[in-house]
Amino acid sequence: MIREIDARGRACPQPVLMTKKAIDAGEDCIVIVDNEAARDNVCRMAKSQGCEARSEEGDGCFRITVTRGSSARREEKSPVPGAGPTVVVFPFDRMGTGDDDLGRILVRAFLHTLGELSPRPDVMIFFNGGVKLATDGSEVIEDLRALEKAGARILVCGTCLDFFGLKEKLRAGMISNMYDIAETMLSAGRIVRL
Amino acid sequence: MTAEPPFSIVLFDSTSEALLAEKLFKKAGIPHKVIPVPRHISSDCGVCIRFNASDTGAARATLDGIVTFRSITSLE
Repeated sequence: MIREIDARGRACPQPVLMTKKAIDAGEDCIVIVDNEAARDNVCRMAKSQGCEARSEEGDGCFRITVTRGSSARREEKSPVPGAGPTVVVFPFDRMGTGDDDLGRILVRAFLHTLGELSPRPDVMIFFNGGVKLATDGSEVIEDLRALEKAGARILVCGTCLDFFGLKEKLRAGMISNMYDIAETMLSAGRIVRL
Repeated sequence: MTAEPPFSIVLFDSTSEALLAEKLFKKAGIPHKVIPVPRHISSDCGVCIRFNASDTGAARATLDGIVTFRSITSLE
């Protein structure tokens, strides 16, 4: 009998944590969530752990079957410093403090330059005011999309989008959660914080 | 990866002029992008505005008499 985890109504990142707990305990499970962001987050985390995740929709919720594939329990990530991905973190919608207009110009110049440089960042994380860079009306959407196309993973804090009422206005990157964000930061080879 | 030449850029003596010019470009509906001044043009830390070379006339007309700019040059 496969275990069912009812994560409906649970705030981000609870559904992810509940699923992770089952995976860590070596169990297959069916996770039930009530929104797409939670479904995507659970599926992504399961896959990152080497599991298979299949989602079915019905009755206004999603049933995700998580099974441990043959590659489950991948080897632990290398603890060698500097060996992981390069992560650029955007806690603000501008670069530096002093003058906000100047800061907004600088962040645009910075993102343009990131696209021209090599190597490009592997992951970019946007949280708090930083999420505004990835939403409607931002001047850097095209830059972010180009970086994404070139292979960068763009994680945008879902809690923050929600807080600013911007969840429907995301134009680049994917809605993410604190679990993904914290894990990405901790497994980074280096972090560039704007 | 942003290469879709030909582009021109307009250079300014100060960032506040670049900011003002950008507002005018927006108002005039000239497609543009704020970018750092390319290294081969100047090693100063500065921003400039890039636009399609075909809009050079419109760009000049938009800025003339309102914003002081150093020069308009093609971006190679």
